[in-house]
Amino acid sequence: MLIEQSAYANRWRAVSPAAKAVYALCGIVAAFAAVSPAAALTVAALLAAGTTLGAKVPPGRYLRVAAPALFFLATSCVSLTFSLAFSLDTDLAWRLAPDGLQRVAQVGSRSLGALAALLFLVMTTPLIDLIALLRRLKTPEVLLDIMVLCYRMLFVFSAAVHDTLTAQSARLGYATPRLALRSLGGLTANLTLQVWQRAHDLNVAAQARNNDGPLRFLEPRFEHVQRDVALAAAGGVILLAASIGWR
Amino acid sequence: MTLLEFADVSFRYPDGSVGLNACSLAIARGSRNALVGANGSGKTTLFQHGNGLLRPQSGVVRYAGKTLDYNRGGLRELRSKVGLVFQNPDHQLFSASVQEDVSFGPINLGLDEATVRQRVTDALSAVGMLDCASKAVHNLSFGQKKRVCIAGVLAMEPELLILDEPMAGLDHAMRIELTAVLDGLQARGITLLLATHDIDFAYRWADQIHVMIAGRCSASLPCAELEEFEQRHNALSDAGLPLPSVLTLHRQLVAQGVLPNQASPRSHAELLDRLANKENH
Repeated sequence: MLIEQSAYANRWRAVSPAAKAVYALCGIVAAFAAVSPAAALTVAALLAAGTTLGAKVPPGRYLRVAAPALFFLATSCVSLTFSLAFSLDTDLAWRLAPDGLQRVAQVGSRSLGALAALLFLVMTTPLIDLIALLRRLKTPEVLLDIMVLCYRMLFVFSAAVHDTLTAQSARLGYATPRLALRSLGGLTANLTLQVWQRAHDLNVAAQARNNDGPLRFLEPRFEHVQRDVALAAAGGVILLAASIGWR
Repeated sequence: MTLLEFADVSFRYPDGSVGLNACSLAIARGSRNALVGANGSGKTTLFQHGNGLLRPQSGVVRYAGKTLDYNRGGLRELRSKVGLVFQNPDHQLFSASVQEDVSFGPINLGLDEATVRQRVTDALSAVGMLDCASKAVHNLSFGQKKRVCIAGVLAMEPELLILDEPMAGLDHAMRIELTAVLDGLQARGITLLLATHDIDFAYRWADQIHVMIAGRCSASLPCAELEEFEQRHNALSDAGLPLPSVLTLHRQLVAQGVLPNQASPRSHAELLDRLANKENH
């Protein structure tokens, strides 16, 4: 939901998704091409600054969205830093991996750069615009249909889960651990039926509007696409220069 | 002239429940029609027959005098003329974007992009949702979703628009707005058929009220003569429906000599006007 809020309410909402995708792609390439951790961190910083200062995504919200990914990155870095030694003579031993710190710095900074690039894209571009972009890029129809339906269903089912949970809680469904387990089972069973029913309903609704195959929609239009893509490409070149030029 | 006609249509669901039972009903071109009846009386089943989603097991459905053709081409033609708006907007809207969802029908008709864009703009304007064209569907209110559903069908430029309980779940202000949208559609020559449980709204808005009981259309009442018709046939009371409250009130006022025995008013506003005029005289 935080990503959704940002995607719809940022300063670059009306900028062509193609331009934003170009910039994000350059960011990912720059992060992986970075010659040093400092270069990768510079790329990450530039991308984060673009998201928060350029697109005006509130920094607090940015950090909250990034937090789970940063947590996983941190735990991965810890596991890379240390190595476990097993031997018959001694017990299990922890020690710093020989090249651990250097590897952590390299992998961690690159991952941060790639994460910043992806966050830039998803926090400035609604998924519906990204799907339209993928459609223009001739992504297979069946994948796009699944994306469209999954994205829509995400919100329909979150509402259904919320309603069912509320109804169960109102009748003390989660008063004790035993009841909670039972209610959770009921919720799962109920949702399974709802998935089936909703799928049937959507199929009927699609037929009612003359659909007999792939789900086709009108693509959104954006103004100044060429200018925006050119600017994004220029920004991307700066990112690449920062990643390769920094020693 | 009859646009859509059901002649002795029967349909039974696979679980054995009766959907329609020898149901006969006619919808005149350019008219406003309200379908009333208890839950499970067959209203939605009837609508799905009108759009060709269900096929009668016996009886005939005719559109503009022709029996429906259930092959691919026939259904395509029918669904381009008969639009169906479902009761629950979440069952109908499957694209995440308003503009995309409204474009779904016209694109399925095989129209070119410029025409589709124009139709999407026109349809969203007709329901007052043009400002929300680029919004995500899940960020809309329930009433806005209903309007997007109507726009999605309007963009196919149907001759007959069928709405399954369009007022359900709407607050008073939204109902007034939706009524204005429906008035605008009828002014454009679109024939309207809707299901409702609100007999007062049906009487105020419709030209014809069709009463459904247990899968059968028990009566088609012209609203202008509803009171006399009901006195003779008891069609509403047989379906467990009351008389519109404005008729009951008017009858009482006539009985007490407050108002002269003239044609029945269609709304409380009309009744209040008559009372105000009487006081002025």
